[in-house]
Amino acid sequence: MKSLLSSPRTWRRVRQGTQIAFLALFVYLLFEAYQGRVAHPWTDVFFRLNPLAALAAMIAGRAWIPRLGLALITVGLTLLLGRVWCGWVCPLGTVLEWVRFPRTHYRAAPPSARWRTVKYVLLAAITAAALFGNLTLMLLDPIAILTRTATTVILPSLNQAITGAEHVLYGVRIFRPAVDLVERLLRGPILPTAQFYFAANVAIALLFLGIVALNAVAERFWCRYLCPLGGLLALLSKVALFRRVVGNECNRCAQCAGTCPTDTIDPARGYESDPGECIVCLDCFAECPRSGIGYHPQWAPIWREYDPSRRAMLVSLGASAAGVALANTSAQVSDPDPHLIRPPGALDEAFGESEFLSKCIRCGACMKVCPTAGLQPSGLQEVGLKGLWTPHLVPRLGQCDYGCYACGQICPSGAIRPLPLEVKQLTVIGRAYIDVNRCLPWADNIPCAVCEEMCPVPDKAILLLAEGESPDAALAGGQQRGPAPLAENQAPRPYVVSSRCIGCGLCEKRCPLNGESAIRVYSPNEPPPPMGYV
Amino acid sequence: MSTRTRRDFLRLAGAAGIGAALGAAGCNTAPSEQPLSTPQGPSGDQAYMSIVHGSDPAAITRAAVEALGGMARFVKQGDDVIVKPNICVNYRTPEYAATTNPVIVATLVRMALSTGAKRVRIMDTPYTGDPETAYRESGIYDAVIEAGGEMEVMSSVKYASFDIPDGQDIRSWKIYRDVIEADVLINVPIAKHHGSSRLSLGSKNLMGVIEGANQFHRNLHQRIADLNSRVRPQLTVLDAVRILTAHGPAGGNLADVKQLDTVLASHDTITVDAYATTFFDMHPEDIGYVRLGAEMGLGEADWSKVRVEELTV
Repeated sequence: MKSLLSSPRTWRRVRQGTQIAFLALFVYLLFEAYQGRVAHPWTDVFFRLNPLAALAAMIAGRAWIPRLGLALITVGLTLLLGRVWCGWVCPLGTVLEWVRFPRTHYRAAPPSARWRTVKYVLLAAITAAALFGNLTLMLLDPIAILTRTATTVILPSLNQAITGAEHVLYGVRIFRPAVDLVERLLRGPILPTAQFYFAANVAIALLFLGIVALNAVAERFWCRYLCPLGGLLALLSKVALFRRVVGNECNRCAQCAGTCPTDTIDPARGYESDPGECIVCLDCFAECPRSGIGYHPQWAPIWREYDPSRRAMLVSLGASAAGVALANTSAQVSDPDPHLIRPPGALDEAFGESEFLSKCIRCGACMKVCPTAGLQPSGLQEVGLKGLWTPHLVPRLGQCDYGCYACGQICPSGAIRPLPLEVKQLTVIGRAYIDVNRCLPWADNIPCAVCEEMCPVPDKAILLLAEGESPDAALAGGQQRGPAPLAENQAPRPYVVSSRCIGCGLCEKRCPLNGESAIRVYSPNEPPPPMGYV
Repeated sequence: MSTRTRRDFLRLAGAAGIGAALGAAGCNTAPSEQPLSTPQGPSGDQAYMSIVHGSDPAAITRAAVEALGGMARFVKQGDDVIVKPNICVNYRTPEYAATTNPVIVATLVRMALSTGAKRVRIMDTPYTGDPETAYRESGIYDAVIEAGGEMEVMSSVKYASFDIPDGQDIRSWKIYRDVIEADVLINVPIAKHHGSSRLSLGSKNLMGVIEGANQFHRNLHQRIADLNSRVRPQLTVLDAVRILTAHGPAGGNLADVKQLDTVLASHDTITVDAYATTFFDMHPEDIGYVRLGAEMGLGEADWSKVRVEELTV
């Protein structure tokens, strides 16, 4: 060990290289799954390695989730080496490490060490809420924050900006070949073929920007004081085997304390650090002029004044219980939005809305992979606090694509169960109803059959009938609304065959009326039968 | 922080000015300068329309085009060619007759390339699902790549508003610029049942090259005819190897598919569409856009008035 560490600057390089590699992997997987239809089986690997996601989802869901078992690797690594996840792996940590504000700005008044307690309080609150079946605070998981921000904020804005610039350039003849080339290379594999729009994108952007802006107060402010995953890993690191040790060579030059990104090296304690706060970045090794810093097995746990006290834990348990009670008494819990459509595989007879909410870790992976961007973060007005930013389908923005089953494949916690395509195509996620007061043929006798035309169900869940024709008779007679001529000046009217409609929402998406569609998908009256049927 | 000098400001203003000028140039470029092309009619012993039956889709496609005088009648050395099949959704394989037969598309690509086309691009706008998956699922992607063609994902950047001088209902619409500017457009529809328009044929297939197809449905048949007065394919090859007789345009029941082992080809989309109605026991007048297209003088709906060559290979 000693010989390996004899060149600490090399070690720092190795760490930085590892960070870049993991961030690159994150970005690659982002594009790999973006607008994907079929998700690469490892697209959710960062969530699978995430012990906070595993802990919360397994407690709230009251089940062992094999797919999240990979998090044990991170747990083991942390028990061996400390918070290497934070310093070496976490893509949000890497981003925050790169965002630097003028140093003078925050050197003057470092925040009180008491702030470090916040991450433990958040962790306790998440765990306690999970005991009550609530996962709302998983919104603050770092991987979820990055995935959600990339999906709903960064990539759509990037596409908007690039496409806007291309529109301008394409109008100028000499730039056309260049734009053509860019489109041929990027459109499809990198850039989506349609512009996506997301609900709550401003709030999601502000959360992310707020976290980045806190870097102006202190380096890695989020990682030090707030991150609940960091809190969990910090607890494990308290008893990690290998820890930073200051040797006898130390001449109290204070170089290490000045360079530490988490500010945990304490001159008052002989330049020792808290293994719960150390992210093993190795900057102090690299900076130490006398090679006085080692990395050795230690046994005794170190406890500091900001570490969670019994009282703090009891307070967060109580606050958490109160918060869950508040979330459970939102109006939307009793009277959910009638258009709340959950992804296929989320609900069935045995697995209702509250079970879904107890398993969904708010990671946003399903929204990332949804090829139509119909899966949107739910807002308070639709689901209340209990389901904030969980996925629901907004057909007017994007239908549930008949040929796609990616959300169930990518969901790391199994909140959306993986359905084979043939099963997914039969899974009822909602039912369409026609507003006859607005529908063109019904209300204005204007011929229109877009909903019938779009319906992807092989037998068509929409029939076009003349006035007086009964849908029952038409179904009994195997009517297919083929070429039979209709009465003069009579626009055939669409009827929904409820027993055939799966609620995919393509009709709602394509209804040519401006504003609200004249055919809308409602939550199903009864959930589909349990999985495994065909 | 350094103060900004006047020079810096002027530089910035200059750059912004150039940017704005480019932007303005872009917005003001009237894309309708492209003259209307008229498909070239037959000469000598060339057929006006060919009807070819046979079990090999490649062979009947070749024979159909040969009967019209061969691909050289339509494609010249160095031409930029676009082939427009029907790839309407991303979840149907060819046997469901929702998308154009890939062998027919690939055969046309080969013929165009061997006649000297500079490049042959294939494109369509699926109404649901991403284009790349739709291209692959339809079988057209693999067939076209093997034949040496290029699949193009239609880009929102490349639509422009074009005048439709002969339009009865619409006088301009957003159309894919390359389709208007290409040297040759080959229209390769599949004949199938269709909810809104009753049948989807050649004229209807061109709805895949516009933006805002939803809004077409307000006055569908007239608007299809209007579009066909502006987008004029030099050659239409209609796939009736398998036709979809119900639950169109995407189908999903093999019972709705009928095997006819036939292709039709002509420079005149209206003639092809008119004849194709007979596959469904209908008449040309039954389909609004065929009737309206003929009334507008876009083509001949009465095939008894033109030289038709019918073969079996």
